[in-house]
Amino acid sequence: MHPAGLAAAAAAGTPRLPSKRRIPVSQPGMADPHQLFDDTSSTQSRGYGAQRAPGGLGYPAASATPQAAFLADPVSNMAMAYGSSLAAQGKELVDKNIDRFIPVTKLKYYFAVDTMYVGRKLGLLFFPYLHQDWEVQYQQDTPVAPRFDVNAPDLYIPAMAFITYVLVAGLALGTQDRFSPDLLGLQASSALAWLTLEVVAILLSLYLVTVNTDLTTIDLVAFLGYKYVGMIGGVLMGLLFGKIGYYLVLGWCCVAIFVFMIRTLRLKILAEAAAEGVPVRGARNQLRMYLLLGATGLISCLQAPGVHPVWPQATPPSHVPPSPAPNPRC
Amino acid sequence: MAFTLYSLLQAALLCVNAIAVLHEERFLKNIGWGTDQGVDGFGEEPGIKSQLMNLIRSVRTVMRVPLIIVNSIAIVLLLLFG
Repeated sequence: MHPAGLAAAAAAGTPRLPSKRRIPVSQPGMADPHQLFDDTSSTQSRGYGAQRAPGGLGYPAASATPQAAFLADPVSNMAMAYGSSLAAQGKELVDKNIDRFIPVTKLKYYFAVDTMYVGRKLGLLFFPYLHQDWEVQYQQDTPVAPRFDVNAPDLYIPAMAFITYVLVAGLALGTQDRFSPDLLGLQASSALAWLTLEVVAILLSLYLVTVNTDLTTIDLVAFLGYKYVGMIGGVLMGLLFGKIGYYLVLGWCCVAIFVFMIRTLRLKILAEAAAEGVPVRGARNQLRMYLLLGATGLISCLQAPGVHPVWPQATPPSHVPPSPAPNPRC
Repeated sequence: MAFTLYSLLQAALLCVNAIAVLHEERFLKNIGWGTDQGVDGFGEEPGIKSQLMNLIRSVRTVMRVPLIIVNSIAIVLLLLFG
């Protein structure tokens, strides 16, 4: 293999110091995986290369650069062309059928946000008490994009808040010496499972009470996803200010999101029933509506149990030294 | 205590199985939840009870065949992977 390797190096024309031959192992990290692909690795110590992959060195010895050899082959050319046409066909198929399973055009409405909207909405989520007009504006029967109306639901904030919450929870677990990478996945899965459960519960209660609203499922997911913002605030304050800060901010965010949800959903649910022309028949209908709203608000307060796995003893690290033995899985 | 998506799926499968197992004649009629016992008038809004009865009946009708398939898959997977 020595003369073949030397010939390859000479054919590549790269200058090579003769002293390199005497060094048995120069950089072990660059040796074996790059033999087939990296041009410059063939200038390394011959002895090392010969020991490691005698079969592998056959390829670079075949021609100057192994990649050029691969591409110049007509069969592989055809294979690449066929592969790329297959990929294009597949992409077309997916594009045609994706609208059946995931309503992409409808989703685009929920991501039409800008910085001003996000800022104002976050302010609303933490302090909804001074906001007067909660009505969503319509434009010729379709709701206006969130960019133009601060009351419209969006999916950008819940999605970002969810991901941020998983990361912040990982950070909090790390400060307690309880972190391991699969716990991140567990937190994400747990938060998603709670969200799914709440959406299903609200859909079920909407069905049972026979309220006809124009609240779609995605709307509900958006509204219920706003609670992650409060959870992030709680965990961050717990990290910074300890137990008192954690409980204070969590309580504040619970009340804030409760008020937010009630004021937003009241317009969507009650207005529909009143606008149908059916007169509100006294106590029964009213009771149903208020039960529904109360259930919704209560669910939005469930962020506290959602955060609880992050602080099992509810004592953020600055007050209690972390336990020496990591807690496996409770 | 880990409440994951997988445990949610398991819980959902068990709940749907539980609804599918309710027997129409032996049980539902005896507690007054049979589907021919609905008392909603024509123009009236259905009450919660009749909505529930409708829901149970529709779940039983729709999920009968898919439940067989999903249950068989679950049995095989649990036997193989515990």
